[in-house]
This record gives sequence, structure tokens and C-alpha cells, in this order.
Amino acid sequence: MRKFSTIALLVAFVLPFTAKPVAAQAAVPETETDQTLHAMHDEMERARTRLQLPGVDKPFYIEYRLLDIDVRAVTSSFGALISSSNTRNRFMSIDVRVGDYHLDSSNFVSEDGFQGFLGSTGEVGIDHDYNSLRQDLWLSTDQAYKQAVTQMSLKQSFLRSLTKPPEIDDFSQTTPVVKVDPRIEPDWTTRNWDEESRQASAALRNFPQLNATRVNYYLVYFTYYLMNTEGTIIRSSRHLAAIEAALDTTAGDGMALHDFYAVYVAKPGDLPDPATVGKSLAQAGTELMTMRQSPIVSDFTGPVLFQGAASGAMLAQALAPSLSGARPPLSTMPAFDEIMQRMGGRSEWSGRVGTRVLPANMSLIDDPTLKEFNGEPLLGNYEIDDEGVKGQRVQIVENGTLKNLLMSRRPGPEFMNSNGHARSALLSDTRPLSSNLFLQATGGLNAADLKKKFLEACHDDGHEWCLEIRSMDNPAISSIRQEDFSEFIGAIAGGVASGERIPLVMYRVYVADGREEMVRGGHIEGLQLRSLRNIPAYGDDETVFPYMQNPQGGFAGTALGAFGSAQGGIPSTVVAPSLVIDEVEVRGFHGEPRRLPLVDAPPLTK
Amino acid sequence: MTPTHRARVLFRSIAIAVAACGFLAVAGAAQAPTPAVLVAMKEELDRSMAAMSNGDPAAYFISSTVADRQYSEVSGSNGALLTSTETRARWLEVQTRVGTYQLDDTHKLADRQPSWTSPGTSVVIDDDVPVLRREIWRETNRQYRAATEALIKVKTSQQVQVQTAEGNAPDFSREKPHVSVGPHVEIKVDRKPWEEKVRKYTAAFSKSPEVLNSIATFTALGMNQYQVNTEGTQLAFGQVHYRLELYVQSKAPDGMDINRYANFDWLNPKDAPDDKVVFARIQTMIAETEALDKAPLVDPYAGPALLTGRAAAVFFHEVFGHRAEGFRQKDINEGQTFTSKIGEQILPDFISIKDDPTQAALDQQMLLGNYAFDDEGVPAQNVQLVDHGVLKTFLMSRSPLVSIPQSNGHGRRQLGFVPVARQGNLIVSSSKAVTNDQLREQLIAMVKSQGKPFGLLIDDIAGGFTFTGRQQPQAFQVLPLVVYKVYADGRPDQLVRGVDIVGTPLVSLTKIVATGDTPDIFNGYCGAESGSVPVAAVAPAILISEMEVQKKETSTDKPPILPPPAHDPEEKGQRQ
Repeated sequence: MRKFSTIALLVAFVLPFTAKPVAAQAAVPETETDQTLHAMHDEMERARTRLQLPGVDKPFYIEYRLLDIDVRAVTSSFGALISSSNTRNRFMSIDVRVGDYHLDSSNFVSEDGFQGFLGSTGEVGIDHDYNSLRQDLWLSTDQAYKQAVTQMSLKQSFLRSLTKPPEIDDFSQTTPVVKVDPRIEPDWTTRNWDEESRQASAALRNFPQLNATRVNYYLVYFTYYLMNTEGTIIRSSRHLAAIEAALDTTAGDGMALHDFYAVYVAKPGDLPDPATVGKSLAQAGTELMTMRQSPIVSDFTGPVLFQGAASGAMLAQALAPSLSGARPPLSTMPAFDEIMQRMGGRSEWSGRVGTRVLPANMSLIDDPTLKEFNGEPLLGNYEIDDEGVKGQRVQIVENGTLKNLLMSRRPGPEFMNSNGHARSALLSDTRPLSSNLFLQATGGLNAADLKKKFLEACHDDGHEWCLEIRSMDNPAISSIRQEDFSEFIGAIAGGVASGERIPLVMYRVYVADGREEMVRGGHIEGLQLRSLRNIPAYGDDETVFPYMQNPQGGFAGTALGAFGSAQGGIPSTVVAPSLVIDEVEVRGFHGEPRRLPLVDAPPLTK
Repeated sequence: MTPTHRARVLFRSIAIAVAACGFLAVAGAAQAPTPAVLVAMKEELDRSMAAMSNGDPAAYFISSTVADRQYSEVSGSNGALLTSTETRARWLEVQTRVGTYQLDDTHKLADRQPSWTSPGTSVVIDDDVPVLRREIWRETNRQYRAATEALIKVKTSQQVQVQTAEGNAPDFSREKPHVSVGPHVEIKVDRKPWEEKVRKYTAAFSKSPEVLNSIATFTALGMNQYQVNTEGTQLAFGQVHYRLELYVQSKAPDGMDINRYANFDWLNPKDAPDDKVVFARIQTMIAETEALDKAPLVDPYAGPALLTGRAAAVFFHEVFGHRAEGFRQKDINEGQTFTSKIGEQILPDFISIKDDPTQAALDQQMLLGNYAFDDEGVPAQNVQLVDHGVLKTFLMSRSPLVSIPQSNGHGRRQLGFVPVARQGNLIVSSSKAVTNDQLREQLIAMVKSQGKPFGLLIDDIAGGFTFTGRQQPQAFQVLPLVVYKVYADGRPDQLVRGVDIVGTPLVSLTKIVATGDTPDIFNGYCGAESGSVPVAAVAPAILISEMEVQKKETSTDKPPILPPPAHDPEEKGQRQ
């Protein structure tokens, strides 16, 4: 195996119910030809029955997760290829717990702890063979057990230092599921992805004012294995295909501007052809050219219309931190809590179950069981979650009142049991995350009436114009360099916690004649979940906004989680009507734009 | 980590690691048509310089580099394939310097790391000149902007900070331009046979229950580099390198980590190591691993020690070579061991040391630190660092010292890092050589005369081991891996474990009393401030009159609780 550094400092999870001894493991049928399942089973069985340090508890729970990932990635710019690759990897992650369901070795973050020579995660062989996998599982199980024993003792001494240790269980029990689906293997030969990517990106060659562009094709097949000592055995295959493009330019006054394009489908064959992609890219290019010429927005506070997909994107950011009902891990590090808060990980809904959190005619539902909506595919669909629990429809808010939260097997103060929302990417720690999130409302207005109502509200508030947002930025896609994204995260991380949101395409709509004019340079401040308790008007439209939740660095489940890309992102959707939100604070551009390049761009024509 | 701390850590982990690469095919005349990349680079360079040399502040130097990298990697572990990939990518780096050669935006400020702008971006691999030009234009503007901002900080800080002596050295040296367009290189790799090989090699390791984890990695690199600068340099050159690495991990009963590593490097596909040779090496590694697992821990000791050629080569690279890198003499956070010692005797008078990147091979064995031009476009030079024990000069990039105003072609970097002075092929020679057998006799004689029961034979040194996997364990500056006690009374040598060299390694250098007559080569990748670069170190065996060692710290992570699944007596009848 090859060791890899664990993503994230935000570690464990897990929790609920009364203690129960180690359950039996489900058998893998002798006729099963997948040696992976046999190797997992046999090594787990050996560990379950024999792994024990003298004078220390045996594990009460062992879990093996394996992920096969086969990626075809192609990047082009202005019709020329930047890179093209096909990679196959298999990763494993092993969880061993000592203690019992009420109090176990998980859900605890400490600065100390076991430093093994290999660790409990790593890259393993892709041959699906029996022997090498057993060897790797053996070593990692051993490491995970020693880690658990050390964590447990640190945790117990930490708990003794608290006046009142938490009474919530560490791990909830659930019914084991056995579900071995057929493996789906990719076929990359059906279309020429290098050529498609070149052709599609060539459409941007007609925009000489673009400084740089990147058009990324990212096609991926996963097979996920989960086995635990409670009897769960899962093998499931998933696939995703994405095209994500970033465009950037500079306005005449030196302001840096960008735009992006993203399309996500379930499988490579469903991706649009290069001519269609080219057309969409040209639209984004035209939009960005219009933005270049548009005036800078001034400071504004008043009603803002989030149109179509912008509504879903805004909700994805604002809702994410508050949907999880799992309690945060215990930590000996005060900095831990601070980091979570800074990233906007603090829930606004915790402790509010039974109270009104949205307007009385609105409901919020998360439903991973749905595959499509009005003929549009829903990316967040899955049958079994990443902890092996059946995905369930959860009515989070009913007629304005908070009823439920999303749960993994880590209990929280209000809810104990999982409702099948444990999600992860690339074997990161699972957490309760949304899948297909629906904001539903009765009595929505048609487009014309919505605009009328919006302008009335605008007029009543004493404005000559108000702002309409057509799309929200996603810097994980629109940053051409990874470095730019990191810089953005560094700059914004504190802001998102206090509700800073970044619109991408924004229009001024004039009260007098309904005229629309694109503006640039503004961002939203202080847009929190409580701003959604009163929504003066909303549409009868239901726009599907597909996006990838960012699993990295503990971003998932925070407001930053909405800034993900196909690379490692967790497929999700928000379905919502257009919304008019009152009292939104938009801050125009302040400060000095950077000076223009000393040298004009060279021609793009051959 | 504080900047100072970080610098120290980097320096410590400098290592020779493992791997190899290097070398070049440099052709004489340039009859081939100018490559498209070079055309694009030149056009943008001229356009940018015309405008930026009149900018405020004015750029006085611009360079750009494109590295076109073809890379295949096939890796196996414990008998199965881990990965098998091939990639091609072009990486562009632009440097714009504003100010003057004397004082520019790169001027190092005391106690502060320069604000770091990554010097590059990936660019298209299709030979599309307008798109290449657009990327170069964008990167040049970005670097120019960063340089202007940096220069303001430099100037502000200059007014308030005390200047050190080397602070008066210019920031950049003036060098003669070079024009050379060599042939394009290309690698064609069939990965299938290598996929089979890495499976077989690592499966062979699994036969030993003591080998917990094994990795075998085959890599092939074909790299074409292009460089232009405003002084008139225009270069295109290629290099090819193939490598096979073997790595195993084990644990002694007390929990100490045991690692063994081996590498093979070649330049021509037909010179790939034969399976027989590899399997023989695997058997040696297994035998060493099993012996080390059982070997006793060493007790603290001070006395004579013999380093074999390969160990001595690593020792010189770590202990002397890094301290001879010119930029360290400028940085007040550095130890600056040798800064004021030019012209002084620092080693016994029978030892001479040169760094010669122009040398491609020694006794038909490739030298990994071979290159024609360094990463600042300066031709590689043979540099006599120590002549009969006297320190003559330092390895220089284009960051000059007051006393050494020019580069000697040692400005090197890994893609994505800023070049600094680094070693190439460090070659130690001796005018007091005896045969290796005689050297061993001298060791025993010295043990007796000092009244010690035994001396040490150090056969392998980890110079801070880096594996291509990137996440393998970090090791230390000078950590002996294979050490034997050599007894004065004629008993057989005894392998010992857990040895740490203490005291000042530099003092050890002055205590060298004799050397062997056969140079050994160590090819590896050395990691330091400017990333990982291919190097070689060559030295004969050395006899040191006194070296002090102690037990090294050991891991508390005990060996696995259960036996390996394939070697578990209770698991008979399992599927294999």
C-alpha cells in the first residue's frame, strides 16, 4: 500500500445507542467471484475474532471502505490541449472502534494520539486480487485498532476533566444491509474526448479579450465497497461526467472579472456534443464581455431577486451549515471550534426544532431517493448512503416549522438515528449532507407577476432600481489556478460565516420602466438563514441547480461547501423557486482596481 | 512554522534521496527548425521587454522557461499493481526582475520570507503559437505585477534594516548569453511489461513474513526544456531518464522502523536491469531486512569508523555539499559554516572535492547530476570546491556573493520552484588511497591502538529518504542504515541497529585519516529549498579516526499484533 496523508483535520464522527457486543459478520457467498469481497471478509473476520492487545478491549466495531476510481480528465484552452489523462486508483479507509455504542473511541479530536508507521488509510492495488488486499487490510486494521485504543484512553481522561460529559451516544445502531450490485466498468473509447474538448474550447477563440480560459472534461466511474462487523456488505457503482469551464478577463478600468460554465450528467454518453458545448461557452463569453462594459454597482440595501439557479446556489450556501443534526466532535483543542465557526460551520437551526424557521407556506425536503425532477436528472440520488444506511426522504421544514435534521450514524442533541444522509468523497469522513434539497412553496407567482411584485417592493422601499441576481459565483470552478481558489478561500473564509455571498451575474432593474442593466463588482453581506424567515415574494418556477459539494478540508456542510467542483465533489442539487429577499446588503466595489497590463494581449488568430 | 524554523527543517531534510534522472543530449549546431514553443517565447519576450523596460519600475531582465514533460509511472505493491499512468504536460515559468542587478525585487529581507508568487502555470501541449503566446503574456504580466509589489517592500525595508556584509552583494549576476538548439527527445514506453514486473518484484518480497509492505516503481521521463531571456540566451535541450525503485518496510520487535531501498537508473531502454539482477537485489534487501529486524541495538560509542564508498558519498553530500551552496552564505538564518573560510584548510590535505555536472558517466555508470545548462540558462561548469583540503569556492547560481560575482552553472530547481545553488555531481577524490582491504586492516589496527573492542563499518546512509510516493517517511540528515561492529579480535562482523551519528559531523570530516581507492556512486534526488533535483555523489571509502554514535529514538508503534495473513498458521486452507 502507499500511504496518503488524510484529508482534513476535522476527524471522526460516529455515534448512538446502548452497548451491544460485537455482532456477527455477514458471509460472502462462496460463488462470489469478486476477490475484493472475500479478502475484506476474511481479514475482517480474523481481526474481529483475534485482534486484541493484552489487557485492552477488543474492537466492538470494524468497518472497511474501499473505493475504485477510474478518471478520464481532459483540459483545453482556446482549442488547444493542455492535458489529457486516464488514471485508475483504489483507496481504502479503515475504521476500528473500541468501547461501545454509547461511548467509543471516535468523535474526539486531540493533538496527541497514535502515530503509526502506515496509518489506517492508503492507496492499495488495483488488481482486485486477494493476497495483496489482505496484506494491506491487515496492516491498516492493526494501525486503526492501535489508534482507537490510544484515542479511547485520551478521550476518557478528557471526559473526566469535564464537569458534565455529553450524554449523547457516540454511535447509533442501524439495520445491516447486504447489497452487492454489479460493478460497472467504464468504456472511454466511445467518444474522442481530447478532440471534443479541443473543439468545444475553440469557441472561445472568438473572444480576444479573454485573458485565459480552461475547459475541463472530467469523467469518473466509482465502485464503493463497505463492509462492517454488524453484517453490512455493500458494493455499488456510480458514475458522473462533467464539463467545467473558467473564463477570465480584465475590464477597461483594471477590474479582474471571470465567468464559468458547468454541466453535470450521470454518465459520459449523456454529455452534450462539442458544438452544443461551444455554443454555451460562447454565451458565457458574451456574458463576460457584457460584464466588462457594465457599470460598477454602488452600495445598496433593499429587496433582491434571486432568479432561477441563483436562488438554488444561494440556498446551497446559506442552508448547508444548518442542516446537520450531528453534534460536533469533542475536542481538546479550542482552535477546533474556532476553525469550524470561521468556515461558517455553525448551525443556525440547532436547538430550534419545532419553531418557525421559514415562511409558513414553505417546506424544505431532502430526498436522495429521487432520480429526476420534471425530466431533469437529480445528481444527489443514491439508494444507500456511505455508512450503509438506506437513503431516506427527510421533511426538514414543514409549513415553515423545523421538523427534522439530516442525520448520519453520529447522533446529535435532537435526533439519535441515521436517516441515510452520511456522505463523503474519496473516502473522507462521512458527515450528514444534503442530497436533493427541495424548497417548496405554495402560491408562487408567474414570472411577470413576480417581477411586478419585486418592483413594487423596490418602489415601496424608496429605490429607483433594485438588484436581480441571475447567477452566483463558484470560485472552485471559475478560478483558473488552484492558487487563486486558495487565495479566495483564505480571503473569504471569515466572511461566509457572517453571510458573505458572491454573486456573479447581477442586473439593476429600474422601477420606472422595468429596464434591466448588467452591473459588476458587488458582493452580498450578512445574508444568513434568518434572512429567509420572511420572503416577500417567490416564483412558481422550480429550477434545478446541480452542484458539487466541496469535501475538502472540512468544507462540506459549511457555507464554503457549495464551492466544489467535479474533482472530488459530492454531487448534489437544490430545487427552488426564484426568491425575493428583503433587506439584502450589497456592497459595491471599493478600493483600487489593479493597473492594466503594460503590454496588450497578443492576437489569438493563427 | 516560523520562516526560520522552516528553513532549518528544509535544510535538514535535504537528502539525497533516492532516484535519479538527469542527463542530456546536447547537440552542437542548431540546424533543426526553431520549435514552435521557442518562437512563441521569443515573440512575447521581445514584446514584454520593449514595454516593461520602460515601465515604472522598469524591468531589467525577463526570462521564460517551458518544460515539456512526458512521464510514465508504473507502481506495484505487495504483489499487485498500484497505478499505471502516463502524462504529458508543459509547464511555463516566467521571471521578470525589476530594479537593477544590484538591487531588485528578489532581494532577501532579513527575517522575512519573500512573498511567494508561484513562478509558473501549465500551458497547452499542442503547438498552437497564438495560444502559447497568450499564456506567456498572461504569466509575464502576473510576474511583473508581483515583482513591482515586491520591489516596493524591498525598498521600504532597506531604509529601516541594518545591512549585513553579504547584503551588499548584487541580487543578480550578469552572464553571457548562450544559444543552443539541441534535438528533441521522446520516450516510448510500453507499460504492460512493467505492470507485470512490478507485480512480480513486490510479490517476491511478500515471501518474507518480515516484509510488511513493499513498493516497486518504474518511471520514465522524457523532458524537453526551452529557455529564453532578455540577455540573448536561447536554449532547447532534452533529457531522458528511466528508473526503477524498490522499497520495503519492516518493524523490529521493539517497534523500530526498518526500511530498505534500492534504485536502478538508465538512459537507454535497452539498459533496463535484467530480472535476474533485480531479483538478486530483492533477495539482498530481504536478507538485510530480516537481519536488521534481529540485530541488537548499538550502545553509545566513540571510536574509529569506516564508511564504504556509497555511505561516504552520501555523507559528503549531506555534510559538506549542502554547506558549499552559495546562497546559504548570504542568508543570515543559515549556519554559514564555511562563509569566511575560503582559502583555509577545512579537510585533510589529501582530500579534494569538485562538483562536475558536465560529467555524464563514471566507469560507464551514469551520473544523475549531469546537465548541460542549469535552470538559469548558464552552462554547467566543473567547480573545484576543495583542493587538497583547502576550500576554494562555492557552488553558485546567479545570486552572487561579494567575493564571487558570477554563476558557475549550479542554479537548479524542481519545476515550480525558484532556482538556487545546488549540487550536481559531487566527486570526492583522494591522494592517500589504499585498497579497501588495506583500509579495513587500518581500521582494525586503529581499534587496537585506541584500546577499543570494536570499530564501526557504515555501509549505507539514509540522507533523508524520499520516495517517489511523496508520503513515505521523512528521515534525517545523516542516519546510518546499515552498520556493522568490526571486532579487533577477529570475530565476524556483527550487524547492529539504531545508530545515530552525534556530535558535529563536520568534525568527522577533519578526522578522515585515509581513503579507499575505488570510487562508489550514489545517484539520487536531493530535496531542498528549490525542490527535488537529480544529483550524484561519488566518493571512495573513508576511514575516520573518531566518530561518536548513540542509540536513535525509536518508534513506539509495535509490530502488528496478528501475523501476516499469508503466513498465519491458523489461516491454512484460505484462498491464496
